[in-house]
Amino acid sequence: MTKLLTSVVAAGGLVLVALASPAAASTSVAARPASAGGGEMAIITVDPSNPYWKAEVDTAEAVAAELGYSTTVDAHTNDPDLQNQFVDAAISRGVDAIILDPAGAEESVGAVQRATDAGIPVFLVNAEISEQGIAKSQIISNNAQGAALGAETWVEAMGGEGRYVELFGNPTDNNAQVRSDAYHSVIDQYPDLELLQTETANWDRAEGKTKMELLLSAHPDLQGVIAGNDEMALGAIQALREADRLSEVIVLGFDGNQDAADAVVAGDMVATVLQPIVQGTTLAVQQADTYIRTGETGVADEKQAIDCILITSDNAGLLDNFVLAEAGAEPTASSEDTTPQTSSVTS
Amino acid sequence: MTLEVGGVARRPRVNLNALLIEGRAFLALVLAVVIFSLLSPHFLTGDNLILMTRHVAINATVAIGLLMVILNGGIDLSVGSIVGLSGVVSGYLLQGWNIPFTDRTAYLPVWAVVIVSLIVGASIGLVNGFLIARLKIAPFIATLGMLYVARGLALVITNGVTFNDLRGEPQLGNTGFVRYLASRPLGIPMPIWVMGAFAIIFSLLLNRTPFGRWLYATGSNERAAELSGVPVRRVKIWVYVFSGICAAAVGMLLAADLPAATPRGGEFYELNAIAAVVMGGAALSGGRGTVRGTLIGAFLIGFLVDGLVLVGVSVFWQQVIKGAVIILAVAVDQAQQTLHRHRAGAKAVRAASGGPPDPPDRAVTIQQQKVTVT
Repeated sequence: MTKLLTSVVAAGGLVLVALASPAAASTSVAARPASAGGGEMAIITVDPSNPYWKAEVDTAEAVAAELGYSTTVDAHTNDPDLQNQFVDAAISRGVDAIILDPAGAEESVGAVQRATDAGIPVFLVNAEISEQGIAKSQIISNNAQGAALGAETWVEAMGGEGRYVELFGNPTDNNAQVRSDAYHSVIDQYPDLELLQTETANWDRAEGKTKMELLLSAHPDLQGVIAGNDEMALGAIQALREADRLSEVIVLGFDGNQDAADAVVAGDMVATVLQPIVQGTTLAVQQADTYIRTGETGVADEKQAIDCILITSDNAGLLDNFVLAEAGAEPTASSEDTTPQTSSVTS
Repeated sequence: MTLEVGGVARRPRVNLNALLIEGRAFLALVLAVVIFSLLSPHFLTGDNLILMTRHVAINATVAIGLLMVILNGGIDLSVGSIVGLSGVVSGYLLQGWNIPFTDRTAYLPVWAVVIVSLIVGASIGLVNGFLIARLKIAPFIATLGMLYVARGLALVITNGVTFNDLRGEPQLGNTGFVRYLASRPLGIPMPIWVMGAFAIIFSLLLNRTPFGRWLYATGSNERAAELSGVPVRRVKIWVYVFSGICAAAVGMLLAADLPAATPRGGEFYELNAIAAVVMGGAALSGGRGTVRGTLIGAFLIGFLVDGLVLVGVSVFWQQVIKGAVIILAVAVDQAQQTLHRHRAGAKAVRAASGGPPDPPDRAVTIQQQKVTVT
């Protein structure tokens, strides 16, 4: 028995070493020190196992390296305590700037304040905090505008009538509510669209599939699904495919990740909404660089909302890892009070 | 002599007790089925029962492995991460494995992918077992650490992305992962077959082999088992290996089901599995619990969670109700345990006072209670 145990552990160990080594090589690239003269930027993100935040991290690292900065990456998984630890660590290392995707609008104010008090500028991407005048920039994608765009397309595909279910994101995440509200601001204008049930699937694909299977059991005649993000929508699509209902049910996603774009091309998903995370992160790192060199961000407004882009079968093929090849490649930063320019976005 | 009396008197009661515990969980399950079928016309349909059983099977298979650990008096918090790691390993191998230090890519056939993934799960379990049995690290701490290590490895292997293409290429000879693992032989989805197979194997292991007797013995009283010659350390290592294998099997089923291997797969599965084991009448202190009870526990918790969705209970209340049912189940279990202990004590006192009058009554009572408590 001992011999068997030893051989099993040896085999397992070998496999793990073999599996880990190619990826280990690629992560060491991220830790590569930048050229001399540049400082250090701390990148604090949410959860790189989600392709969306992965794109955020990759962009921030690439742009920072281009500008000559070394970077560190930490992920707080929406836990404010972890975020505090990472911010404190960055302060004690004396980094030149912090690029932060904040864990909650209220919860993150303290951490941003501490860094600012310590003389380290903080640049927020993807989400905002509830106070202004502390962070140097807050660059957010306009979730409400994007969700409304998606909902319009979905309503059109539904023909303005039918019974549908909603897959809601993680209930403690502010964006889940923002997107849901924006969906309903459009959909609720159509009295013939009937919401059967709302379930949370916590942004997760596996949970999206499980919940969709049950919803199909409870409402065999449902005709539409609106999902708060692409991962849940993709889970729902798989459930519909197995139930042989995919061709009759219209699914809407949000985020614009690559798998969703492929699903839109294949006709499984009617539309998704691209959050311009690559543009937003690029702007944040560029503004951090400008601020480090000149003491100014070079942009008038602290809060900058970037409009989301609707992805349908027309342009899904152009989407490559959160970047749209031709249309809308230019980042369109607008200040907070500007109304969303839907006309320019839908083109 | 007192020990002998206690031992003889206890045996039939333990059986009765076990029967009652399982009966109670089964009763709760029946109650849940009745309530939900009254509230939703879709609950008690054939398709829906198969669907819910498939959801249950995922948790139940993890829970059966975890039962082995809990019978030993340990805990394995790393099972959820092993689920994720195993799915990712099989996904990675199906995409093509870049052999280190060469430019070559290996495409393993599906059976080899399955075996490698199971070995990865088993070796994580083996490391757990080694840390706990040899280095004497508390099971909670060792497997908590491994929870992060295995999840981290899954992220390292995927570099954070999701593997989507698990179907393989015909010309590479590695097709069939999704086709077999997500198939429905005789109309029953594969996870249910796997749950059944694991349930039978581990029932036989517990009831028909020396290993099973050793496991119950070490879980009840490790020191006594060791003194009577049970290979305590070896048993302790093997239970974590079994737990790792069960979790790895689930990881592949989950990946084939989606079909996609995500590094987040299996998050928090350890908590659902612990709940199933405990609701099935197992004691976290070890030595008490059965596969049958664990299955009932998994069905109870699975039907409850799915039933609440079917009925349309608000998302927030679903969690409150699930938690309350877990607490209630264990509270009833504890009350029953206490009751039986009292009864056993009282009966022993009666037996002692009615027996040979030589020893003073009080001394016997105290000794008797000591025996029954341990």
